[in-house]
Amino acid sequence: MTNNTATSGNLLVSKKYAKRSRVAEIWRNLKKNKGAIIGLIIMVFLVVIAFAAPLFLDYERDIISQNVPERLQSPSLQHLFGTDHVGRDIFARVIWGARYSLPIGVVAVIVAVILGVTMGTVAGYYGGMIENVLMRFGDIFASIPHILLAIVVVSALGQSTINLMIAVGVTSTPAFIRVARAAVLTVRNQEYIESARAVGMKDWQIILQHIIPNALSPIVVQVTLRVGSAIISASSLCFLGLGIPAPAPEWGAMLSEGRKYIRDYSYMTLFPGLAIMITVLALNMLGDGLRDAMDPKMKK
Amino acid sequence: MHRYIAKRLLMLIPVLICVSFVIFFIMDLAPGDPALIIAGDQATDEMIEKVKEDYGFNDPLLVRYANYMKGLVKGDLGTSYVSKKDVWATYCQRFPATAKLSVAAIVVSLVLSLTLGVYSAVNQNTWKDNVSVVLALLGLSMPQFWLGLLLIIAFALNLGWFPSGGDTGTWKCLVLPAITIGTNNAALMTRTTRSSMLDVIRQDYLCTARAKGVSEKRVINHHALRNALIPIITIAGVQFAYILGGAVLVETVFAWPGVGRLIVDSINMRDIPMVTGCVVITTMIVCVVQLLVDILYAYVDPRIKAQYTK
Repeated sequence: MTNNTATSGNLLVSKKYAKRSRVAEIWRNLKKNKGAIIGLIIMVFLVVIAFAAPLFLDYERDIISQNVPERLQSPSLQHLFGTDHVGRDIFARVIWGARYSLPIGVVAVIVAVILGVTMGTVAGYYGGMIENVLMRFGDIFASIPHILLAIVVVSALGQSTINLMIAVGVTSTPAFIRVARAAVLTVRNQEYIESARAVGMKDWQIILQHIIPNALSPIVVQVTLRVGSAIISASSLCFLGLGIPAPAPEWGAMLSEGRKYIRDYSYMTLFPGLAIMITVLALNMLGDGLRDAMDPKMKK
Repeated sequence: MHRYIAKRLLMLIPVLICVSFVIFFIMDLAPGDPALIIAGDQATDEMIEKVKEDYGFNDPLLVRYANYMKGLVKGDLGTSYVSKKDVWATYCQRFPATAKLSVAAIVVSLVLSLTLGVYSAVNQNTWKDNVSVVLALLGLSMPQFWLGLLLIIAFALNLGWFPSGGDTGTWKCLVLPAITIGTNNAALMTRTTRSSMLDVIRQDYLCTARAKGVSEKRVINHHALRNALIPIITIAGVQFAYILGGAVLVETVFAWPGVGRLIVDSINMRDIPMVTGCVVITTMIVCVVQLLVDILYAYVDPRIKAQYTK
C-alpha cells in the first residue's frame, strides 16, 4: 500500500501524468478491450461505407430501378447477395441501407437525449415537486411497451423518415430521463456546485457548465447502447410496414419484402438481417467497452 | 404489506388516466377521417355527417375524452369502428393466445438465461464464460423478427419439424415463436444473471457454506443463486409483462392470432377505440405484473418482507 502511494506520488509530479486528459484516459482503457476495438473498427467501416456509397452507386440506377429479367437470382459473383423479386441487386441495397439505419439510429437517440437529459437534469437538480412530476411522466411513458408507443406515434404522424426518427426517439426518452437524473444526483451536492452558486451563477449556467459535463459518462454509455436498440426499433417498424415508404432500401423493409419469398428464395431474408445484426453488435461491443473504460469499478 | 399493495393499486389510476389521454390525443392527430371508415366507401356526405353526429366526432377533443373516460370507469372500452364489436370482448378473445405464448417464452428464457448466466459466472474469465458472453451479446444484437424468420427457414421450411405459423392448438405451433421471443429475452437476462451472480459469488457466506461441507452444486444453486435472484426477477418481470402486452413482431412473423397482431391490424385500419383500448389494457397489465414482481421480492428475500411490515 505504501509502495503504491509512493509510486502514484511520483507520477503526480511527472508532467506526462499531469497532461493526461479524461478523454485520453478513457481511450487508453478502451484500447485494452479487444471487443470494443473490433466494434469501433466495424462502426468506422460502416460509416465510411454509408458516406461513400453514392460515389460508386447511383440511387436511381442501382438501388430502385427494376430489372425484371434478372429477378430472384441466387448469390453469385455478379450479384454477391443475389437479386430481389424485381431484379434489384441486394448487395447494393444493403450497402445503401446503411444510409438509412445509421442516421435514423443516431438522430432518434439525439432526440431522446435532448428530451430525456433536459427532463432528467431539471428533475435531479431542482428535486421536490418538479422532480416528482417529471419522473412520474417518464414512468408513465415507460409503462407503455416501446414498440406499441412507437407504432402509435408513427401512425399518428404519418410515414416518413423524420417521423420514424421522432417515434423511436420518443420511446427511448424515459431511459435517458432516469440515467440523467441519477447522474445529476451524484454531482448535485458537490462543493463546486455550491461554490458556483456562491459566485452568483444562474441555475441554467450551473446546469450547462458544471452539472452536465460532470454527469456525462453514464449518458455517453447509454447513447452508444441506445443507438443499437434504436436501429432495431426503427427496422422493426419498417418491417411492420410503418416506416420509410417503399422502394427505399431500409433493412427492415427489405426483410419484409423477402418474407414473401421465404420458401424458395431465403437468401433475400438473410443479408438485410445480417446487416442489422452486425451494426447493432458493433455498437453493443463499443458501448460495453466504453462503459468499462469510463467506470473501471463497473468492470466485471 | 396490504397497505403497500393497496397504495400501488391506487397509483394505477393516475397512470391509466394519463396513458389513455396520451394515446387518445396521439390517435386524434392521426390522418384519415374515422367517420369515413365507419360509414364505408360508398357513403354520401349526409351519411358521413350523420355518423359524425352520432359518434360525437364534432365535439372537441376534451369532451370526447371525457365521454371515453365515463365509459372506461364503467368498464366499457368502446366499440370497434371496423368490426363493430366490443373492444373488451375482442381483446379477451385474443388474449389467451398471447398468454400461452408469453408463458412458453418466459419459460424458455428463464431456462436459457439461468443456465448460461450461472455457468458463465461460475467459470468466470475462462473460455466457457467468453462463449456465453458472446452468445448473449449476439442474442441482444439480433432483431427478433429476423431470428423468427431464420427459425422458420431452418426448422419449418427445410427440416419440416414445426409449422411456420398460425395457432392450431398443438404444442408444436408454440415452439418456434416461443424460442424466438425466449432467446431474445434470454440474452438480456443472461447478462443480468451473470453480473448478479458475480456480485454474490465471492461473499463470505458461500465460503462458510463450503467450509461446512455443503456440496458445490448446493452452494451455487441454493446459497448463491437465491441471493442473486432479485435483479433477475426484475428483468424477467418486465420482459414477461411486455410479451403479455402483445409480442407485436413475433406475432406478425408467425401469424399468431394474439393481441399484438390485433393492435397492428387495428392501427392499419385506423380503428381508434380498438388501439386505445388495447394500449390501455396492456399498460395496466405491465403495471400489475410489475406490482406482482415487487410482491414476489418479499417471498424471495425475507429482508425486503421485513421492510414492508415496518
